[in-house]
Amino acid sequence: MSEHILEAATLKKEEALLPQANWFERSETLQKLRKTKKFPTIWCAGCGIGVVMGALIRAIDHLGLDNDQVALVSGIGCTARMPVYMDFNTLHTTHGRALAFATGLKIARPDMKVIAIMGDGDALAIGGNHFIHAARRNLGITALVVNNSIYGMTGGQYSPTTPFGRKATTAPYGNIEPPFPVCELAIAAGASYVARSTVYHALELDKYLTEAIAKDGFSLIEAVSYCHTTFGRLNKLGTAADMMRALKENTIARTAFERLPPEEQAANTKIVRGNFVNIERPQYTAIYANLISEVRGGEK
Amino acid sequence: MPEVVPQSETKNSPPPAVPRKGPRGEVTIYPTWCKGCHICVEFCPQQVLAMDASNEHATVVHPEKCTACHFCDTHCPDLAIVVRKLE
Repeated sequence: MSEHILEAATLKKEEALLPQANWFERSETLQKLRKTKKFPTIWCAGCGIGVVMGALIRAIDHLGLDNDQVALVSGIGCTARMPVYMDFNTLHTTHGRALAFATGLKIARPDMKVIAIMGDGDALAIGGNHFIHAARRNLGITALVVNNSIYGMTGGQYSPTTPFGRKATTAPYGNIEPPFPVCELAIAAGASYVARSTVYHALELDKYLTEAIAKDGFSLIEAVSYCHTTFGRLNKLGTAADMMRALKENTIARTAFERLPPEEQAANTKIVRGNFVNIERPQYTAIYANLISEVRGGEK
Repeated sequence: MPEVVPQSETKNSPPPAVPRKGPRGEVTIYPTWCKGCHICVEFCPQQVLAMDASNEHATVVHPEKCTACHFCDTHCPDLAIVVRKLE
């Protein structure tokens, strides 16, 4: 099974001494990876997207879903490379259209668990319309938005979630636009499950992803990540480990945030993480199936 | 009474004088997947991991200290670490 990996990787002498033959069998997570792909991944050393990939695999594994029951749809960008490495049904589509393709897939195959994996620019700038309308229709899709505040793959241009005043290659004197609040946008558009966590809180991310995939309705998970290669370098935020530590220090749980007095809540600059919405709404494909049987006069 | 040595002990690391309480773990790093991002090394609460001499890969230097907290294997961006809890 791991023959491909051993052939693809040029092993050093001391590395060859390590037990690699049973590498994939050692962990449940690794068994869900696509074994014919070349590893390591294309992401920069220390990028948080890999942590989100691990959390997603653990969430699917926890639900006990068969590999063929799950479809991963992605667009273009660093985050959109994620399905390439995982052994599920995958669809790699055009920039920003992950949710558009996922909509078609979900309507054609309502029994499938469709997960749209998008970056912040992919989901909110290029695919912003698809995002709000998928939430409005309450399609049974899980939208996983990995928010690293920048367009990483194309060289660090500012994105709709770049914080005010932060530098990017296209904003050398600081960004003058306020960022999009992703979770609030999804809540206003009508999503039935909305949660936010960070890559530092990886096990919390597992839990929210498990609940979101199990949910029958549009669910949004905002996984707050970082880009230390462009965003971190331009804003002098340090290494990947420093930025991960900053996620630990600059976040607050929703339950703790709600206990704060109102003036402190108003002055809060930390990222609030937690489950914001978990409601039951009629799901689009169920309504659609009802309509078909009604129009056909009850016959199926 | 013979001294109980946990399975995680290797020949190079001497066993602790008093057998430690609590869960124990065994860390394995696959160096060809490790990109050397330092996350596991900086966050390990027991200093089990360190960078190797070339500063390219993380290595296990104190396997006997691992408490199977699973921080490194859940936060490794390259899925290059596997932690197995020892019974």
